[in-house]
Amino acid sequence: MYLASLCLINFRNYVRQEISFNPGINIISGGNAQGKTSLLEAIYCLATSRSFRTLREGEMVRLGCDYFYLQGAFVLREGRFLAEVGYRQPRQLQIKLNGKLHARSVYLQKHPVVIFSPDDLSLIKEGPSVRRRFLDLEASRLRPLYYSRLRDYYRALRQRNQILKEHRGGPLPHHSLIEPWEQAMAKAGSWIVRERLQLLEDLERLAQGHFARLTGGAEEFSLVYHSSIDLGGGRDLDLMESSFKEQLSQGRAAELRKGATLVGPHLDDFFFLINGLDVRRFGSQGQQRSAVLALKMGEADLFNRTGEEKAILLLDDVFSEFDETRRRHLFQFLSEREDQAFITTAVPLPDFKSYRTEGAAFYTVQGGKIKIG
Amino acid sequence: MSFPEPLQKLIDEFSRFPGIGPKTAQRLSFFLLSRPREEAAALARAILEAKDKLFFCSLCGCLTEKDPCRYCSDPRRDQKLFCVVQEPRDVLRLEQTGHYHGLYHVLHGALSPLDGLGPEELRLPQLLQRLVEKEAEELIVATNPNVEGDATAAYIASLVKPLNIKVTRIAFGLPVGGDLEYADDLTLSRALEGRREM
Ligand SMILES: [Zn+2]
Repeated sequence: MYLASLCLINFRNYVRQEISFNPGINIISGGNAQGKTSLLEAIYCLATSRSFRTLREGEMVRLGCDYFYLQGAFVLREGRFLAEVGYRQPRQLQIKLNGKLHARSVYLQKHPVVIFSPDDLSLIKEGPSVRRRFLDLEASRLRPLYYSRLRDYYRALRQRNQILKEHRGGPLPHHSLIEPWEQAMAKAGSWIVRERLQLLEDLERLAQGHFARLTGGAEEFSLVYHSSIDLGGGRDLDLMESSFKEQLSQGRAAELRKGATLVGPHLDDFFFLINGLDVRRFGSQGQQRSAVLALKMGEADLFNRTGEEKAILLLDDVFSEFDETRRRHLFQFLSEREDQAFITTAVPLPDFKSYRTEGAAFYTVQGGKIKIG
Repeated sequence: MSFPEPLQKLIDEFSRFPGIGPKTAQRLSFFLLSRPREEAAALARAILEAKDKLFFCSLCGCLTEKDPCRYCSDPRRDQKLFCVVQEPRDVLRLEQTGHYHGLYHVLHGALSPLDGLGPEELRLPQLLQRLVEKEAEELIVATNPNVEGDATAAYIASLVKPLNIKVTRIAFGLPVGGDLEYADDLTLSRALEGRREM
């Protein structure tokens, strides 16, 4: 898949902009706060109906306006298609594919884009919810059913929490009242955990290759899922389900005091390990960057393997953060692939010169306007 | 922008309907006003007539003109077979398939603590009473195939199984999260035939 052309109206600092792109590499330069990241955000939003910068759609609307509109002409193996995303406060995001309205859940999975950004480091540095969101988003895009199971899980969890809140400080509610929700949680939850385990294993395998190349193969990289459910080492769905259900019913008394459910995939996490040590706590800044970069490259590989379409890669000002080794490896990674890539940079890097000869397209962004060249 | 008061009132009334936003409410209102007076009168009469003549059956809870309803008072229907559904409209959907010949019981909702709906808010005590009185042999649970519908089904099973009544769940090949209402006849008939014991 590649993006042939893009139209932005009232999006971030863009008033109105139409632009065509190269199916290969597109290099976008410009100073800070001129609209480079917003351009990548627009592409990401067209492909996934989400932003990678915010959860509030209203933030993407240009100051003083009440709507934004994006249109992208994508070229897929099966032909061209037109994606439109519109948002008008206070309504929900509207998504149209080839002129027909689509639900977000349907749209989410189909169009692979992978974003590389300096913020990726938050995957290591921040709390578990950031990592869960990463896994949930990836899993939903790779497997449509994941999204609906996840929604079911959270719905059942909220229902159970409501019962816990209502009876908080009092005696336990009759088991027949709370058990149906635990059953629903256990069924959806165990399935979710199994999918996450599988996804993380696939990502780990792919990321390990990149990590070895980034670091000269001296260190061992692994990704480890930590579940609050007692998995007993196995992946048998029935065993996981009954184990989770058992933990839920055992935990009722303690959870009644807290008024919240204390076990389940909504509390799970995963860790980046180098030579068996948690990178978050024991890794250097350089190791953390390599670990995240390897994970993102693995993510791009995963889409090329499982999806029908090649991913679009968005690289948001990542080169300035990297040392020579990482930069070289990232360039090599890009040149070995046929994916379309959008690379933004604040400073002209010497490496970019070689791209000119390979037919990369160059753009300059200034004050919410894009120029070719 | 403000409308003349009678028009605003009409728009407000339409806006209360499920799935009707302010824009659609305006369209409906302007359409109605563009039509002859007799049409408006006929609509008003139809609304009142339906409201006055229809009520919920005291036994099964479905929408009816007489009490007990035509299903509850039909001796040719299987008196040992019950089917529990969430909404009165689900009864009509199952009837349309022509594949079900037992009795009904309408809950008027599903369990949902978040919406303040517990067992007391649903017509569950009535269900148990009817099952015992009729010495029912099987109860088919046809609540919607979503989290609340499934939880309600599990709750009902835990109540009814100790009475030595077979409890089955309609086998949905329906889209996940779908409503009974939107299933086509064939899917629904198959779902009835393929029901599984809970
Ligand atoms: Zn009746």
